[in-house]
Amino acid sequence: MSTHAEPTPVAPPPAPLEVRRLTVSYGARPVLWDVDARFPDGALSAIVGPNGAGKSTLLKAALGLIPSDAGQSLIEGRPVKAARDRVAYVPQRDSVDWDFPITVREVVEMGRYPQTGWFRRVARREGALIDECLHRVGMADFAGRQIGQLSGGQRQRVFIARALAQQAPVMMMDEPFAGVDARTEASILGLLGELRDEGRSIIVVHHDLGTVRSVFDHVLLLNVRAIASGPVDEVLTPETLRRAYGAATVTADDAEALWAG
Amino acid sequence: MGWLIDLLPLDYTDAVVVVGATLLGLTAGALGVFAVLRERSLVGDALAHAALPGVCIAFLATGAKDASTLLVGAAFAGLVGALLMVGIERTSRIRPDAAIGVVLSSFFSLGIVLLTYIASTDNANQAGLEKYLFGQAAGLLERDLVVMAALAVCSLTLVTLAFRPLKTTLFDPSFAGSVGLPVRVLEVLMTMLLVVAVIVGLRTVGAILMVAMLVAPAVAARQLVHRLSLVIPVAALIGAAVGVTGALISSRGELPTGPVIVLVAVGFVVLCVLAAPHRGVLWRARKLRAARRRTLAESVLVDLETAIHAGPPPTAVELAQASGRPARALRAALRDLDRAGMLARDGDRLYLSEPGAAAAHAVLERRELWSAWLEHGWRLELPDAREPDPTDLRASLGDEYADRLSALAAGGR
Repeated sequence: MSTHAEPTPVAPPPAPLEVRRLTVSYGARPVLWDVDARFPDGALSAIVGPNGAGKSTLLKAALGLIPSDAGQSLIEGRPVKAARDRVAYVPQRDSVDWDFPITVREVVEMGRYPQTGWFRRVARREGALIDECLHRVGMADFAGRQIGQLSGGQRQRVFIARALAQQAPVMMMDEPFAGVDARTEASILGLLGELRDEGRSIIVVHHDLGTVRSVFDHVLLLNVRAIASGPVDEVLTPETLRRAYGAATVTADDAEALWAG
Repeated sequence: MGWLIDLLPLDYTDAVVVVGATLLGLTAGALGVFAVLRERSLVGDALAHAALPGVCIAFLATGAKDASTLLVGAAFAGLVGALLMVGIERTSRIRPDAAIGVVLSSFFSLGIVLLTYIASTDNANQAGLEKYLFGQAAGLLERDLVVMAALAVCSLTLVTLAFRPLKTTLFDPSFAGSVGLPVRVLEVLMTMLLVVAVIVGLRTVGAILMVAMLVAPAVAARQLVHRLSLVIPVAALIGAAVGVTGALISSRGELPTGPVIVLVAVGFVVLCVLAAPHRGVLWRARKLRAARRRTLAESVLVDLETAIHAGPPPTAVELAQASGRPARALRAALRDLDRAGMLARDGDRLYLSEPGAAAAHAVLERRELWSAWLEHGWRLELPDAREPDPTDLRASLGDEYADRLSALAAGGR
């Protein structure tokens, strides 16, 4: 028996995102099946799995962007509808028309609309915040550009700047590194690390197991069902990878190689 | 509306035509942007065609022939058509374009059948409904104009008020949903706005060609300006200008209004698509040609510099052989270089003038910097999202990083 007074139990911080028994299907085909997942606070988390595993669907369903058949999604312990201002969502880059008549700065301004109001003018101090967000992703010199003139990497940076402008403690990103050059990927990964160190929780749908191992703290391995989740080194074992990617495609040697990074 | 008609320095009929066509152009131009940017131009077409049976049914039900009553019928039919399109898309495996085609053709056929039936009845009132096919600007009544103006003002005010939600939904529906915007509602609203635009323009342009007034001004405006907050008003202005021009020509020449307005609109769009700065086809072609020509001249300059270093100054023929360039391209490049004062000649033999030698060195330096980037660029750790431009790496990277790159390349050797 300890003689010290027991510290009063502190409730653990609510998970930035928790889904319980989430089931989504397109037609008769289940895309997500009974998925339970809880992402840790203040961590850089990855959702990985093979093509068609439902990674993007998980984010969209968790945010209520597509209907789910069953299950529950909680952001910081509250239902999504009550917690929209706590999340910044970065959709897949291909989901928008990049020939749309809009400038880089206007896209980032969109991140402020939910807070400044959809109908009022953007106040001057908001301008400074937007400049700062652009600066953080290295796009300060591109504020007046048409988005159509940007490279793939620059477009991704603009989307991230918009998410920063939302000033939300939770960020969810859908395949931010798909089709992005190595330099941009490295620089965005660096930025995500900084944001995590500032205390934000970041959840990224990702496909590159190599960078998951070297950069991320937590991982959810998904293939329609949740295969495993937890710290990266515990989750990405040859055994779980085979279960997620299928024995036919991942031989023991491959899995070993992936596991070794 | 009377004061406006009196105010115009035109006789009464022309003044009514001008006001009607202006309202049509403003509304269709501004609201058509929402069809074009969502890649839903054909929805506008289907809504316009769907209006025709609405007009006929309203006439059969009320026996009235004034535009306002008939347009209410058109609006209802448009809404039913819109709901059907969405319904077919959602519940069956029919693709959106096919759903649009089905709704468009079935509603329009129904409209034609009803028109024919009405014409066969002995209703003294029936003459004139066929105007809704191709439109007629002359013969609008003042009180119809009042209704059209009210619709135009309401819809444009709505767009102004809801501009940010509309812009956000239009550009990025997933993001809009994630911040809690009612994306479905806004999308329905955009379709409603198209119905309103169709109603305002139907009498003037007619059901068949209404889609042109939705699409053409938006396409032209998109060529000219590059922000949504400008595209909408510019499209409205283009729509108004095109509408007035076409309606006046048609009422003077006793021509059907719809086709004339559409011809004017298409003429303007073609002009914009060809000649608009930055986006125009001709503008881009000219820029590309200039760039190719410059690249060719620079390459020949370097060839010549290399040849002079290696041996006696070459003739044009020798230069062509050594570089493997077609003789015609080489001649064109030499002409350009001559004009820029970069060449000197001794009989057939070619030399570089002093500015020519300097230019050749500059080109070589740029090429060296570019290959340094390809090899060592990854070590440079650029501080922001700037991207290397192969034609002018120094300008795109900035002097500091260009120098650092040269140093890296020199050190790596």
